[in-house]
Amino acid sequence: MVDNNGYFLNQFEDCKRLPTIFTTNGRCKNNRILNPKSTTNLETLSTDFLINYSPTAVAILDTDMCFTGHSQIWLKEFGITNESIIGKSYYEVIPDTPDALKKIHTDCLKGTFNESAGKKFMHANGTVQWLKWKINAWKDDEGTVGGLIIDMEDITKTKRREELLLMAESVARIGGWEVDMATSKVLWTKVTSEIHEVAEGYVPNLEEGINFYKAGEHRDRITNLVSEAIQSGATWDTELIIVTAKDNEVWVRSKGEVEIIDGKCVRIFGTFQDINEKKKYELALNKVTERLSVATKKAGVGIWDFDILKNELVWDANMYSLYGVKKSDFIGEYEAWQAGLHEEDKLRGDKEIQMAISGEKEFDTEFRIVWPNGEIRHIRAIAVTQRNADGKATKITGTNWDITELKTTQLKLLRSRESFKETFTNSVIGLAMVALDGTFKEVNASLCKSLGYSESELCQFTFAEITHPDDLEMDLAQLQKIIDRKQDSYQTEKRYIHKNGKVVHAILTVTAGKDIHGELSYYIGQIIDISDRIASEKELNQYVDITREQNESLLNFAHIVSHNLRSHSTNLTMLSGFLNKEEDEKERKNLLGMLGNASESLIETVLHLNEVVQVKVGATDMMKSVNLYKTIKNVEKNLSLLLQEKKAVCQIDVAKDISLMAVPAYLDSILLNLVTNSIKYSSPDRSPIIKISATMVKKKLVLAVSDNGLGINLERHGKKLFGMYKTFHRNKDAKGIGLFITKNQIEAMNGKIEVESEVGVGTTFKLYF
Amino acid sequence: MSKVKNTCIIDDDPIFVYGTMRLMKEVDFSENILVYENGQDAIDGLNQMTTEGKDLPSVIFLDLNMPIMNGWEFLEDFVKIPNNNREKVTIYIISSSVDPKDLERVKNYNVVNNYILKPISPEDLKSILHEAK
Repeated sequence: MVDNNGYFLNQFEDCKRLPTIFTTNGRCKNNRILNPKSTTNLETLSTDFLINYSPTAVAILDTDMCFTGHSQIWLKEFGITNESIIGKSYYEVIPDTPDALKKIHTDCLKGTFNESAGKKFMHANGTVQWLKWKINAWKDDEGTVGGLIIDMEDITKTKRREELLLMAESVARIGGWEVDMATSKVLWTKVTSEIHEVAEGYVPNLEEGINFYKAGEHRDRITNLVSEAIQSGATWDTELIIVTAKDNEVWVRSKGEVEIIDGKCVRIFGTFQDINEKKKYELALNKVTERLSVATKKAGVGIWDFDILKNELVWDANMYSLYGVKKSDFIGEYEAWQAGLHEEDKLRGDKEIQMAISGEKEFDTEFRIVWPNGEIRHIRAIAVTQRNADGKATKITGTNWDITELKTTQLKLLRSRESFKETFTNSVIGLAMVALDGTFKEVNASLCKSLGYSESELCQFTFAEITHPDDLEMDLAQLQKIIDRKQDSYQTEKRYIHKNGKVVHAILTVTAGKDIHGELSYYIGQIIDISDRIASEKELNQYVDITREQNESLLNFAHIVSHNLRSHSTNLTMLSGFLNKEEDEKERKNLLGMLGNASESLIETVLHLNEVVQVKVGATDMMKSVNLYKTIKNVEKNLSLLLQEKKAVCQIDVAKDISLMAVPAYLDSILLNLVTNSIKYSSPDRSPIIKISATMVKKKLVLAVSDNGLGINLERHGKKLFGMYKTFHRNKDAKGIGLFITKNQIEAMNGKIEVESEVGVGTTFKLYF
Repeated sequence: MSKVKNTCIIDDDPIFVYGTMRLMKEVDFSENILVYENGQDAIDGLNQMTTEGKDLPSVIFLDLNMPIMNGWEFLEDFVKIPNNNREKVTIYIISSSVDPKDLERVKNYNVVNNYILKPISPEDLKSILHEAK
């Protein structure tokens, strides 16, 4: 109740709570019965009003802990739905009040003040609640505690957030720091202190803080940054090394901001993060990356990465240089790749990528690329396909490197091989590739022709098998020198055996063929067939021999002649000398006789000379066809007297129709001489029988004149038989020139004479025409 | 100069033999002179002498070109004769041959003292006597 003056009328007693409504002009509308005795009517009324609309959660309780008043917000704060809680017990309204709190209530009821900035409570059901409160006991006029005023706040959410933040800070090792410029006081959070490895309560000043940074580059940097910040308000974000209180070097990330008010820096603050592990990994990674980069750059290896799902291709710097293009030239790497690929390889390139994706075949291939300047390079590419858990290809990572040099060399090698092959096959000189065991591995046509074998036949032999046995040892000895690495090649002359058994002369050059390690791997043989040459040589030698023979005989002849002429002429001189001095008639006669002999001998010699010379000159012109039988018969007739005298018999075994080309006079002379000899040198022990026969041996006519006379000791006289003036028997008629002339005559007709004889049995002369 | 006791001429040319013997007489060369027509006869003769215990001639004049057995062959067989005074025999080759081969060949035979070219002169004989001393 309010009187006209607006004063409350003390109408009600014991009315503790009634809603109080104020009029717009400040007057209370409804009546309130209050304790008339209380001088705190006004205060009480105001308090109720204040309490109801208090912006905080506040409650007034009596000594029984029953609500006498509360703010609206109290209800909201603690989730109380029931609007009327006045008179109800606190613990009824908020049943899950922690025991600790209850105790505090009890304590406060004794008249103490209790406050807390925030305390954590764990409820029975496990939930966490953070509460913040100020509890005061209220007293009545007498000073007796009437109850409690509780100003409480549920700061669970805030606290939780805070907790999480701290946790995050701790986990991330990010600490906060702050410097108040006015007081120079530095604030470090727990984590910051931990990072610095100092005690939790440690509070450094700005200078001390900076000194934690490593001396030198790091400290200078932070100093600069801080002063910059203070001066210009610039923020910083840097990674430096600090040396902790425990002397450990730690990499930290320091971020800083300034708060400037009225152009003056009042505060700098920021975060401090331990990035040591991260930094170390980073540095290690950098090192490894650098190494890899250097290696791949030096090796010219490019690395690429194809993300299949996103269809993106990524190249490293080396790839660009491999393709001879600049990164700036292309929108994307795939484009660059396609552009670089050689026309003919594009289709295959794509197909092989597909095969790698499908899992059919891993990417391992070669292709050509074309540089912008038109140059063609060969690229080797290998890649690995990565798959996800389902086996689907997600990524292909690969390498490219330039094998142009290798390819060029390979091509060169191929070409040179082909070229060699051509030469080998077409060479006029025989060529062979021989394995280390001596077998012919490859032979050319020329060699086959020389040796008479086909290629397949020849390749079944070793060279030793077709070498002339007399030359094998020498050949092998030379080969051994190559095997022993004393030399790389040798040249020799040797004989091979032709398929038909004939001898093939050749000049052989053997060269060692080596493999890639420089080890002896095969032989190359060059065989020059010199059979023709050898044959010509032989013929030449024969001519030379003949010439030499003739020369010799000429020389011989000259000596003999000079000797004989000399003999006789000196005799003449000697005799005429004696004759001059001799006075004795008888002796003179003797001397004259001898003189006559000497002259005769001289003449004879000269005549012989003539004969021999005649024979040696121009015989072939006088060759005619003569009938052998007739000639023989003629000779027989001429010698009939002598034959008769010696009672010699001629047996002629010659076909009547045989004709031969001969000089008639020579033939006569030869036969005459031989038959005469046979008669002259007949054996006294038996009647002389002279057999003349003619046979054909290998298309040559052989005329044999055989006797049964004294025979000739061929061992002793064989060489001299046909020599000039050589006699072997004491026959007075033996001049020693007959056979000499006979030999010359037959040889003049391109024939030959041979003798067979046995002392005491007989002699046979064979004439070959 | 005392003369040689026995001399041997082995040559098939009778005129030469006559001439040589005559010259020897003129220079009083030797007491006895043996003559053989060819090497074979000479060998046979010398062997005969050996068998009979006679000394071999101290000087032998040997021709090269003879029938049946020539001078070379004689020399071959001569050294085979078993006679103690064979070493004391001096052999002179006398020949008309000017063939250098013959001259060369002579050097191979130690038993040959010298080579004389026909005709032989009295001076040749005298110097031989001189040497024989």
